Amino acid sequence: MIEILQWSTLATCAAVAGARLPSALRGENRTVFYIFALFTVAILLSIEAPYVAIDHLLGGINLANLILRFVIFAAIYFVGIRVTKGFDAEDGHRLITGRTGKAVLALVSVAVVLLFLMMDTAGSSSGLKGVALRDARNGLLVELYGAAGRAYPSYVSLVLLPAMVRAVRSALPALVRVAAFLLAAGAVAIALTLLFPLVPPQWGTAEFIINYTAVLCFVLGLALIRVAKIRYGRNVARQRTSTAE
Amino acid sequence: MPIPAKAFQRWLQGIAADTSTADVCRISGIKRTTLAQQLVRGKVSGTTVVSISRAFNINPVDALGVFDTFRDLAGPPRPPTRSELVSQVSTPDLLRAVLSRPAVDPAGQPSAERPTLSPAPHSTSVKNWVEAIDDGELRHRVSAATGIAPQNYSAQLTANRLAPELAVATSLAAGVGPVGGLVATGLITEEEAGWPPDARQAAVDSLSDGELATLAGERLLALGKALRRQEQDQEKTDKIWENLG
Repeated sequence: MIEILQWSTLATCAAVAGARLPSALRGENRTVFYIFALFTVAILLSIEAPYVAIDHLLGGINLANLILRFVIFAAIYFVGIRVTKGFDAEDGHRLITGRTGKAVLALVSVAVVLLFLMMDTAGSSSGLKGVALRDARNGLLVELYGAAGRAYPSYVSLVLLPAMVRAVRSALPALVRVAAFLLAAGAVAIALTLLFPLVPPQWGTAEFIINYTAVLCFVLGLALIRVAKIRYGRNVARQRTSTAE
Repeated sequence: MPIPAKAFQRWLQGIAADTSTADVCRISGIKRTTLAQQLVRGKVSGTTVVSISRAFNINPVDALGVFDTFRDLAGPPRPPTRSELVSQVSTPDLLRAVLSRPAVDPAGQPSAERPTLSPAPHSTSVKNWVEAIDDGELRHRVSAATGIAPQNYSAQLTANRLAPELAVATSLAAGVGPVGGLVATGLITEEEAGWPPDARQAAVDSLSDGELATLAGERLLALGKALRRQEQDQEKTDKIWENLG
């Protein structure tokens, strides 16, 4: 079940990124293409087989996992700045690019790297499952490392959430509101990952589903905005509301 | 509460006993699938009854009055109030009327031929009609009488729509003749409602210069607000396309 979810998420991300490639080459909103590309890489690195293959190339010390953390940070950062800009969320934009945002990102990055260095990371295993099972100390470090890795995406998601809720309730075109709803759902899912340490281990499947749902919601939401743009056109005035003469 | 299918079929039997349903649809210009769907659901719309009654040369108001939902339409017709009539004059027509007053434009050339008013309804006719008969408490009374939530009622007015049964309920709650709202929503014509052909023009003419100018000013203000809102929505969408499209 989880395998299907993983590979279909990967296929979705790759397809969306591929669809955006031509317009990115033309120079239209390259950042959005980078977001899709980064999400594709992130999903690829979160699936066991490709993870192990890539990590072997990098020396088999789970460096791929550290890279995955920063790929996710980059993807979520770009989502944050583009979405807050697009949806006119000045406060949110400042919370991500301003001093607070930078401080959170720096703090989390340092924590992730330090925790990674403190672990005995030999032996490729996706999600550092092998490392966690080694002994109690490594188990705790993996737990903390995971928590630090989830902290930044959750921070950005919580910043995005109010703007998305506002957009859903606004008078924007219907497709854009659906997109905002998907982005809001993704943001909620990512924020929920903060609670993972409280989740009993036998609910591991739920964690997987939440993670992949979050990525799918973000990717589909952003893709839908593109569809909406094509559908409604850039400069064509929207269908006039009946309150206008 | 629309018209129950059973009552509708009984009524149809009465006026077109020898005509097949297919022919009824053809003559009245209703899609067969639309009518079939309404009959399956057990609820027939007022529009259907109006279309059929027109095709069979029956006054739609009389036809609707047969049904329990619209029984208030039966009974002796009541003439529209002056403010109802004026509310059904479109904003451009009202502005032209202002400019034709010598008190407003002393330099204006009195033209022998005055432009005829465009027929009701116009693009803000529903809201203008409710405002014309509203004593300040009307919306609360309609909400109390019909159970519709005030915000849903307002949303309909803003969209220049009003369900026929709500239109009749609004008339009753305001103490005016029951057909005004049906004219404002465009379900029936002024003529079918029994309004004299020149009633609206006469109503505008009977307004003093001051009353007319004030009314036109209110309309312009509302128009300006609606246009401004539309422009802001457009700016917002453009920003989304620019950043995320």
